[in-house]
Amino acid sequence: MSRLRTALREAGMLLLAATALGFIYTAAMEKGLFASRQPADTLSLPSSRNAPVMISRDQAKAYFDGGAALFIDSRHEFDYKLGHIKGAINLPVNEYNLKMGALVQLPREKLIVIYCDGADCNSSIELSARLFADGFLNVKIFFGGWDEWKAQNLPIEKSTR
Amino acid sequence: MESPEPTHREINSMKFLLSNDYLALLTRTFVGLLFLVVSLEKIVEPAAFAQSIANYKIISPPLTTVLATILPWLELLCGFGVLFGIFRRGSSLLLSGMLIVFTAGVISALWRGLDIACGCFTQDPTVGKIGWMKVVQNVTLLALTVFLYYSSSVKFSIEHHLRTRSSE
Repeated sequence: MSRLRTALREAGMLLLAATALGFIYTAAMEKGLFASRQPADTLSLPSSRNAPVMISRDQAKAYFDGGAALFIDSRHEFDYKLGHIKGAINLPVNEYNLKMGALVQLPREKLIVIYCDGADCNSSIELSARLFADGFLNVKIFFGGWDEWKAQNLPIEKSTR
Repeated sequence: MESPEPTHREINSMKFLLSNDYLALLTRTFVGLLFLVVSLEKIVEPAAFAQSIANYKIISPPLTTVLATILPWLELLCGFGVLFGIFRRGSSLLLSGMLIVFTAGVISALWRGLDIACGCFTQDPTVGKIGWMKVVQNVTLLALTVFLYYSSSVKFSIEHHLRTRSSE
């Protein structure tokens, strides 16, 4: 059947042309097989613009009044129970993996204020680094902590959460 | 007294259909434009098309990318071919072949219960989910491309025009 032979011959030429065009186009436009690879890590790293910053007690109080911040007490549960900033939750840094499940639902832009005892305590800084590494972009460190808050008789509570 | 062989009337009506210029032009325009238009999105987004192919879980990367590089251009050229009447037999043969493979792919995916987009008209993964309607569409299209393969109409066909020109 010469019809089939013609068809096959034409099909072969079309296939050849499509292959050539396809490779030339994608190569020229750097698509498909020729797309330049983005290093995966540069795309997922949060910029240092959003790294945790230290804030003053006044700033912490302002956030507290605003009502939108989540206060996190990074001290041991024992100290937390004795007294903590009103509304704060307890997340000791050495129990991070255990208790961070409560934060999983939070949007990554959630305003978070971390505090611990005060000047001689670093757990708030440690915890802030963990949260930042997990993608939270709006973390503040109230470095004055419990000591400064209590000194001004600012709202506290003793009940457990 | 029915004879198993096609009657004169049946052969004549089939010949009529196949030589009918109007039918051929209508089909060529529809099929040609269709494949031309759907090929464009696949040409400019080969990565998305490669993903559509991969979703069928029949072919694995990087072969999906190679296919996504060649197939859209084949659709473009063949669509062009049937529309303007260049390499008509080869174009309709290839389009028929592609449709057979696509239909087999959709049936296979349905059989395995995959909830995927066809990737036929658009690469948006939420649009055009496969279903038995898709199979019916493809088979109908296949009937049209097979018709074009056997069609003897040469009206408004560039290759015929060139051939008769050169024989003068």
